[in-house]
Amino acid sequence: MGAPIRRGLKAGVIGGLVLVYLAMVGMIAKFDELVLIGTQLTLGLVLLALPPLVAALAAARPRVVGGRIERLGPLEGLAAGVAAGAVSGGVIAAWLVVVDAIGFDRVRSVFVAVSPVLVDVLTFGRGIAAGAVILIVGGAAFGALGGVWRSIRFGLRRPVAIGVGVVLLMAMLQRIVPTILDELNIERDWLYSKVTRGLTWLGAAIVFVVATALAALWLDRRERAAAAPTVEGGRPDTRAIARSIGVVAIVAAAIVLPQLAGSIVSEILGTVGVYVLLALGLNIVTGYAGMLHLGFSAFFLIGAYASALLTGANLVTAFGLVAPRFSAELNFYVSLLIVIVIGAIVGALLAAPVLRLRGDYLAIVTLAFAQIAVILATSNWLQPITGGPQGLRDVTDAPLFGISFQNPRNFYYLVLFFCVIAVYVSWRLAWSRTGRAWNAMREDEQVADAMGVNTSRYKLLGFAIGGAIGAVGGALFSVKVGTVQPGSFEILVSITVLAVVILGGLGSVPGVVVGALVLLGLPGLLSQLEEYRLLIYGGALVAIMILRPQGLIPNVRRSRELQEEERTQDAWQEIFAQKEQAAAEQADAATAAATVEESS
Amino acid sequence: MADVGGVARAGGLGRLERFPLRRIVLVALSAGVLCAVVYGSYKTLTLPEGQAYSASAWRDFIVLGIAQGAVYALIALGYTLVYGILRMINFAHGEVFMAGAFGSYFFADAWKQSGFMDDQPWLSVALLVLLAMAVSLTVAVLLERIAYRPLRGAPRLVPLITAIGASLFLQNTFRGLFGSQTRGYPKPTGLEGTWSILGIPVQKVQVLVLVVAAVAMVALTLFVARTKTGKSMRAAAEDAEIASLMGINVDRVIVTTFVIGGMLAGIAGVLFALTFGNISYFMGFAPGITAFTAAVLGGIGSISGAAIGGLTIGLLQSVGPALLLTGINVPSPFQLKDVVTFLILILVLLFRPGGILGTGEAEKV
Repeated sequence: MGAPIRRGLKAGVIGGLVLVYLAMVGMIAKFDELVLIGTQLTLGLVLLALPPLVAALAAARPRVVGGRIERLGPLEGLAAGVAAGAVSGGVIAAWLVVVDAIGFDRVRSVFVAVSPVLVDVLTFGRGIAAGAVILIVGGAAFGALGGVWRSIRFGLRRPVAIGVGVVLLMAMLQRIVPTILDELNIERDWLYSKVTRGLTWLGAAIVFVVATALAALWLDRRERAAAAPTVEGGRPDTRAIARSIGVVAIVAAAIVLPQLAGSIVSEILGTVGVYVLLALGLNIVTGYAGMLHLGFSAFFLIGAYASALLTGANLVTAFGLVAPRFSAELNFYVSLLIVIVIGAIVGALLAAPVLRLRGDYLAIVTLAFAQIAVILATSNWLQPITGGPQGLRDVTDAPLFGISFQNPRNFYYLVLFFCVIAVYVSWRLAWSRTGRAWNAMREDEQVADAMGVNTSRYKLLGFAIGGAIGAVGGALFSVKVGTVQPGSFEILVSITVLAVVILGGLGSVPGVVVGALVLLGLPGLLSQLEEYRLLIYGGALVAIMILRPQGLIPNVRRSRELQEEERTQDAWQEIFAQKEQAAAEQADAATAAATVEESS
Repeated sequence: MADVGGVARAGGLGRLERFPLRRIVLVALSAGVLCAVVYGSYKTLTLPEGQAYSASAWRDFIVLGIAQGAVYALIALGYTLVYGILRMINFAHGEVFMAGAFGSYFFADAWKQSGFMDDQPWLSVALLVLLAMAVSLTVAVLLERIAYRPLRGAPRLVPLITAIGASLFLQNTFRGLFGSQTRGYPKPTGLEGTWSILGIPVQKVQVLVLVVAAVAMVALTLFVARTKTGKSMRAAAEDAEIASLMGINVDRVIVTTFVIGGMLAGIAGVLFALTFGNISYFMGFAPGITAFTAAVLGGIGSISGAAIGGLTIGLLQSVGPALLLTGINVPSPFQLKDVVTFLILILVLLFRPGGILGTGEAEKV
């Protein structure tokens, strides 16, 4: 019993420190503004409960000791979990007491986030002493849940987890779902409260039950399907049908969504779409060809400025708006072709001299390139062309058959069209000869070279295609916002795009879309998240690289490689287990023989 | 495997006849840069009286360049030491530097208000440096422990991506903790004004920067050359695996490296804040990249290389824009000083990836 509790204490201290961090950075207080369910349950409280829960899960996780997997029993798990949760709560309670002793105002003069609101959230409005007790007891309760979680039957705990996840997701989508229901004339007051905007308790309960039941059914069916003998070639057919139904459903949703969800959602989806384009471009360079590109914002910038200058825009000067030194009045779609060519050429030109650089140096050079582009665009020197820090105004619209695309809803369809093209290009490239060459290069450049892959050529090609897609993203962006300012193309754009690709899974096209929806869609919908967007991106990059380097939706080919590795490991473990069993049997036989001998 | 065979046939002899795009771009680039440098300098130096910079202006540029170069050198040492052992670019090192400046700021502010700083300028600056060292060291050690150690032995790009994430995370952590505004870093009144050194008026702060940086670098050189820990650091940089076979605790050496890099970054943080007078959560980015450039320019992995690279970059940043761009009528040339840095970085990596004092690594860079 000692060891699990010790593990629990250790995990609890870490969990508690995470809580203190979240409190001091201001996330808990800020997220408390977002009501998820009822009038009380806010995202801040969820954030408060998460560290004890995760700490307990970590403390009670099965470990590999001496080549064997060691699982904790329910009681041991409970002990470890309670210890972890109570210590987590204890650490934040102790912090609260210490801060109270120092004086909140004095602490606040240094740590700006230690606000009365934060204190109110942490003490549940009941004063320091009662608050500390609640924190410890609540922590212990969530810790207990985390501790026994793994002892619950899989068929039960997985659906419940999915159910909770769906409820939280529905609560987070409180700006979309109610609008859609209103648009469809469906009564929605039972589901979403008009006062807090969050789910009602009744609605949450119904969503939870439905989601859990569906998840349980689905799991059950999957298990049975896996257990049932399969006819050769029989199963993939149904799978293909299911997949095409899924694709059709997603496409239908993508087309219908902005009609139902209102212009704010269209606006956000437009941004998401631009980032999907950028991320697809980066995915080709980094995901397929394996070259880390930190300067992707440069293509975004070049695309936006080139498109704005080619279609006609104005720049701000002391004497009012004037036309830039170089500009044309082309149709947007003609200029787009030119922009694509420019993006590809710049991409290849950037790549040409740095082909010989090893991965990390390449990353820094591309970063430097992007910085140069931003500084030049901002500088007074190029002000007559780029407009300097104020940038270009009145970017011409991209009308098609009399439809203006500066309206967010129409723009969404424009960007969706280009996203679909880019997805198609990526998908075709992935399985083409070029894609295979990139794959070989990514796995081992020297081997690929030795096998006759012309690595220079394929690197150039990767940079050129990626650059072209990125430039299209920039051109669309300039239409969307109507102004082009250097501030929109900072290095943070590159890192955001990188985070999208990494979160979704390097080399995975569906992953890119999901990554963009999560990393740009959610913060766009929830202003509370927006403030901590970059913090979350940074943390996510670190956490994904350590915990799940293949991303949310891994690339098929890569995950296959990973699975194969696991399979060999499993095989080894089986062999070891068999050997051990044989040895144990031998030992048993020996002792049995010995006892027989003794007794005789 | 079939597809790889197919590609092999496509390559083959074609290699010899390949269009030498890379070579052409390189030659064109170097010729262009050379022409621009010569032309720009010539135009600037032959500007008519009144438009040209005076001799004292050039002298100020040079002194400022040396002082900021010394700060860059201190940060660059952190990159160089870590790269030497782990072969990874610690992208978050600029944030370690920022943490030092930020951590000491609150004490500096309090001491300025209580009058302690003006009464005891030297003591308070010394204490601030120690505090900044402590903060930066803590951040650096945590960074290594949490973000980098779990990825030891991972493919090369993985720790780099992690480092980028850690950099963003640290920046926004400081933003969340202390707010996003730029703050004025107080300076003791005793450090305002100038001293005359060899007849040249030099700002007192710049003298302080140079002295502290020189002491720190000499101390580091002695530490690496003379102590047992320094010896194990050199051994680990040579070959970490063999070093661990020789009984060196490589993990501990790596932590030591981060500790030293963090302490130097902390010193640099205070010196930078005293020189430029402002700090913000974003202050680590540009000096970080610049210092990385300095490390690459000097030859990454080499301690004296970092010093030489830092001074070179500092001088080029302060003299370069004025010298090269004023003559060809570029308005506000100092906006473009980072362009100078980044161009140097790219050119160095293209033409002499080993750097000025490069160790001539056999490995392909």
